Amino acid sequence: MDLFTTFEIASSALKAQRIRLNTISSNIANAETTSTPEGGPYRKKSVYFESTNIPFRDQLNASMKDAAHGVKVARIVEDTGPGRKVYDPSNPDAGKDGYVEMPNISVLKEMVDMMSATRSYEANTTTIKSAKRMALKALEIGR
Amino acid sequence: MQPLQGLAPVGLAKPDAGSAADKVEQSFAKIMTDMVSQVNDQQQAADRAVQEVHAGGAKNLHEAMIALEEADISLRFLVQVRNKAMDAYQEIMRMQV
Repeated sequence: MDLFTTFEIASSALKAQRIRLNTISSNIANAETTSTPEGGPYRKKSVYFESTNIPFRDQLNASMKDAAHGVKVARIVEDTGPGRKVYDPSNPDAGKDGYVEMPNISVLKEMVDMMSATRSYEANTTTIKSAKRMALKALEIGR
Repeated sequence: MQPLQGLAPVGLAKPDAGSAADKVEQSFAKIMTDMVSQVNDQQQAADRAVQEVHAGGAKNLHEAMIALEEADISLRFLVQVRNKAMDAYQEIMRMQV
């Protein structure tokens, strides 16, 4: 049913935004992490989206198939930019010169990104609510 | 829909007239049965989704909520169809003969 297509599209967006929020949460949690199993400080991770053809349950006309796209996470890319150096000779991760490389994460930017993810999530839940309201209105025709 | 048949004389009723009516009745009953089973499937899917969320499975919270909403809307639709069918039935029962 067409209505449930809206649900599927919004659901894919909600999932994508959740992955984005998870990545942001990981970035914020590791904003001070100076050592990782791979060596070196933690690197900022960014999420990139791509649109997908959502699987339709029912047969739909071809025009609809091209018009409605879901979203999914295409890749999570590590930012290889240099981190800021802090002089802290007591840190076990400090180099010979006493400087420690901190992660290349700006907590401020992550917070802004987090708000954007939250708003996007809200927008998609509103789409679902709207689709539901339309369906209930359609059912009211029979009353 | 079956086209309306002309009335046959009482004594000479065509032998397949009853079976045609049976077929129509069966097909409506089948539509209703299919619908009920579809709605039931959706209710069970929603149930499973909720259980998976509780069990900490792979299902996301929003997927469970969407499954619940789908089940809800399908059930409401089924109830509306049932109401319409009952209305039609009662309308016919009220008919003066």
